[in-house]
Amino acid sequence: QLTPSSFLRIGQLSNVDLNEDIRELETELPRQHPNEIPHNEKLLSLKYESLDYDNSENQLFLEEERRINHAAFRTVEIKRWVICAMIGILTGLVACFIDIVVENLAGLKYRVVKGNIDKFTEKGGLSFSLLLWATLNASVVMVGSVIVAFIEPVAAGSGIPQIKCYLNGVKIPHVVRLKTLVIKVCGVILSVVGGLAVGKEGPMIHSGAVIAAGISQGRSTSLKRDFKIFEYFRRDTEKRDFVSAGAAAGVSAAFGAPVGGVLFSLEEGASFWNQFLTWRIFFASMISTFTLNSVLSVYHGNAWDLSSPGLINFGRFDTEKMGYTIQEIPIFIFMGVVGGILGALFNALNYWLTMFRIRYIHRPCLQVVEAMLVAAVTATVGFVMIYCSRDCQPIQGSTVAYPLQLFCADGEYNSMATAFFNTPEKSVVNLFHDPPGSYNPMTLGMFTLMYFFLACWTYGLTVSAGVFIPSLLIGAAWGRLFGISLSYLTKGSIWADPGKYALMGAAAQLGGIVRMTLSLTVIMMEATGNVTYGFPIMLVLMTAKIVGDYFVEGLYDMHIQLQSVPFLHWEAPVTSHSLTAREVMSTPVTCLRRIERVGTVVDILSDTSSNHNGFPVVESNPDATQVAGLRGLILRSQLIVLLKHKVFVERANLSLVQRRLKLKDFRDAYPRFPPIQSIHVSQDERECMIDLSEFMNPSPYTVPQEASLPRVFKLFRALGLRHLVVVDNRNEVVGMVTRKDLARYRLGKEGLEELSLAQT
Amino acid sequence: MAPLRCFLQLLSALALTLGPAAGEMRRLLALEALEALGEAEELWGAGLPGDLPELEPECRRLLVAFAEHSAALTDCLGRRARPVRLCQACHLDYHRLLAQYGNIARAVGNSSESHNCAKSILTSDRLQIVVTLSEFFNETWEAANCANCLKNSSEGLSNSTVEFLDLFNKSLTCFEHNLQTTSLPPNNYTEVCRNCNETYRKLNDLYNNLQRMNRQGGEAGHSAHLCIDVEDAMNITRKLWSRTFNCSVPCSDTVPVIAVSSFILFLPIVFYLSSFLHSKQKKRILILPKRIQSNASLVNIQEKYS
Repeated sequence: QLTPSSFLRIGQLSNVDLNEDIRELETELPRQHPNEIPHNEKLLSLKYESLDYDNSENQLFLEEERRINHAAFRTVEIKRWVICAMIGILTGLVACFIDIVVENLAGLKYRVVKGNIDKFTEKGGLSFSLLLWATLNASVVMVGSVIVAFIEPVAAGSGIPQIKCYLNGVKIPHVVRLKTLVIKVCGVILSVVGGLAVGKEGPMIHSGAVIAAGISQGRSTSLKRDFKIFEYFRRDTEKRDFVSAGAAAGVSAAFGAPVGGVLFSLEEGASFWNQFLTWRIFFASMISTFTLNSVLSVYHGNAWDLSSPGLINFGRFDTEKMGYTIQEIPIFIFMGVVGGILGALFNALNYWLTMFRIRYIHRPCLQVVEAMLVAAVTATVGFVMIYCSRDCQPIQGSTVAYPLQLFCADGEYNSMATAFFNTPEKSVVNLFHDPPGSYNPMTLGMFTLMYFFLACWTYGLTVSAGVFIPSLLIGAAWGRLFGISLSYLTKGSIWADPGKYALMGAAAQLGGIVRMTLSLTVIMMEATGNVTYGFPIMLVLMTAKIVGDYFVEGLYDMHIQLQSVPFLHWEAPVTSHSLTAREVMSTPVTCLRRIERVGTVVDILSDTSSNHNGFPVVESNPDATQVAGLRGLILRSQLIVLLKHKVFVERANLSLVQRRLKLKDFRDAYPRFPPIQSIHVSQDERECMIDLSEFMNPSPYTVPQEASLPRVFKLFRALGLRHLVVVDNRNEVVGMVTRKDLARYRLGKEGLEELSLAQT
Repeated sequence: MAPLRCFLQLLSALALTLGPAAGEMRRLLALEALEALGEAEELWGAGLPGDLPELEPECRRLLVAFAEHSAALTDCLGRRARPVRLCQACHLDYHRLLAQYGNIARAVGNSSESHNCAKSILTSDRLQIVVTLSEFFNETWEAANCANCLKNSSEGLSNSTVEFLDLFNKSLTCFEHNLQTTSLPPNNYTEVCRNCNETYRKLNDLYNNLQRMNRQGGEAGHSAHLCIDVEDAMNITRKLWSRTFNCSVPCSDTVPVIAVSSFILFLPIVFYLSSFLHSKQKKRILILPKRIQSNASLVNIQEKYS
């Protein structure tokens, strides 16, 4: 009954009994002495799995395709457009909601604190105002941090690294769930209102992605509601396309930059791309910014004005006043260098901090306490800066939202307060557009220094918050400082308008931190609404990226690495041609026979030490002369559905009335397939046989043992594979290449490095 | 209707003075027209004779009136520039000018539709000086935001403005009064500060109130400003109060602020130190992958390392 299946081990053939050798594909826990090490960046976590981008072309799929006629495929295409429109509309609405709530809550907070400060300035006792401000901040941030830390930790941070991983093909647990969206939206509102050095733009991208993933499935597993629509899109490939549209819609809503959104998806996100998708994504982006625009115009009382296209509006840059000449180009490039260096410094500091956080501050309570402390310190630093500043400016109309007089003469306000006593978005716009002379160089210098460290400290806290706005703010502050000193040096030439340099500084700083190029150029261009700035912004970002890359990686890549995510870059490491598939692959492989005993399948699936997801299917009854050649590949999720519906050979013979399994049954279970433990298989049923030939993917991608690593990588990456079977020249399964096998090779400082796998 | 009746009367007066010349204007040759206009010019006694060959006399009159009004307004604006009293003093002049400009824009010459006054005065040359002037005045008026402290019908100051100016005058008198009575050295203004505090507070509160009401009532944009007279008056008073008299001395309590802030700034250090010392460092369990341990790959990796 039991037939030996052959495995290749270190160059020699050995016959191993399959029943005794229920082994994992990739891993085996070294039970004798678990090897414990502190967390470092050279690890790959086992917790991340791949998404199945490869379509399983089994019998069921072919049947369905035959059944669906041409017209039905056309409705599928129309449905795609409808979904994109809905993604745009909902993302725009979520952005509006965040914007309006933040505006009102932050307004309330600042009015209360301002009233308090004004009161105590006359009577004395400003320390109470400080306490009030710090307590308000800390308590708001506490709520925001508690919901993130205890309910949905994946909602922490900007979400851009997570979405980037998702679009790369890594399944980050919980990343596109409705619960995550709710926590993210509430969290970002609370952290901005709490006065942290954060922005609400980055999380918009994550929110857009979750909305897209939700809508395209036509149901919510969290709410247990199935609307019975869009069932065709219930698989990873389709969902991925919509998620990239959602990310683009998010960028578009955040910055009012539809083209920038599409390019962001292209640059940061989509590892897979085609031109039809581009046009649909652009449509979603446009709809998103238009929705935001119209709703906000109604909210602000001038309906259909459509002049507030994004969450952050950089305001209009007049070409006359803010024009630039060829002589300024070297100056801009120099600013790019400064931005690159400062960005690298920011990333390096944040790297150490994040490492410390992962190692020591991993308990949710500690994370909440940390967030609260940062909030209180942010308020304190702001207060002390305002308190010590003697930079007073006359009030002009109502350009300043919350003018703090403090120790200034009547009718004047503290200039430091416009920078610290405001939401970061407003401060950025102030730095761009306030007339020359609104800020002292001293004020700007202190502000840059303080805000740099605050922002660096804040990123990576367990709150949902973005890094775009703080970076822009730091850059705008030093850029403005630069512009002012330039006009001192040139004895007050008119061309040195500080607003222009603030913009370039902001671009340089942001580029130095996140290292985005194309999309950031377009986003900045669209946000300023000035196409002529495209060239200098491009130069600045380019220089910032080159200079920054010389020192450390971009912030998002760094965080992906620190999370031990098996992320596949565009290319394999350049010096890896000497490695072959034989050295890369995992072996031995757990194989299933085409007609397999149910008991064996259940045992393989429920083996806790193995969590493999793909099993090569080999010929069931090879004679002694016949080799057990590869026949197909079957996924864990498919096996579970088969077991759940008890599709056994014996049962099929017994009851002819039994419904045949359709592709729909697999889709209904997607994306949360039940664990094997929840499926009950009786002792009798264990003896039944299960025929896999109808359900397996009959033509899995394979490579020979001699294929080089870059070759394997290219195939894997371009097709978005999850499993790549390595076969010998007799078509026998030798090994299996998965994402973690490829992602562990990395080009480090000293050459090719190999990351180790770890349980996290 | 009033301007139109006025205009008709003007027309009849013109017809009387010019006699047949006015009626036959269209058919006259240029030379004759020049003569006739020369007559007209002399009648009003302004400008060079024969300066404007084709301008009808009634248009001429309108133009001169506009010139006079704009001169008056310019004069007023210039005189009231410091301290700013533009809106109070010049609003009559401004509205007269506005009316006059309206007359020109609406005026139709008696000769033909194609040669009306509006066209010949406003749009027949590149410079269009009348339009430029009127635009300048309008812009100045807008920038000063005078509409904010005038009544809706543009006649006279609004009640709140009058109230504010009264209070402003009162505080100025108070300042003067107290400064005269004190024979102390000029840098000691405690008397002023004490005696005028109430008036100043009232003035300040009223101003803030006006500002708040304005911000709520008005839409976004520059109407967030109060009118320049009020703003300037307040600015002067505030400057006197806090710069010259040095009356508003805020209590600076540096010691408690430093204490509280250093306490808060100290907390994170405690937090990080304690979590470093007491929290158990998170360890990762390494997992050995199942691979063919070929020497080649090891050599490969190690080579790269060394």
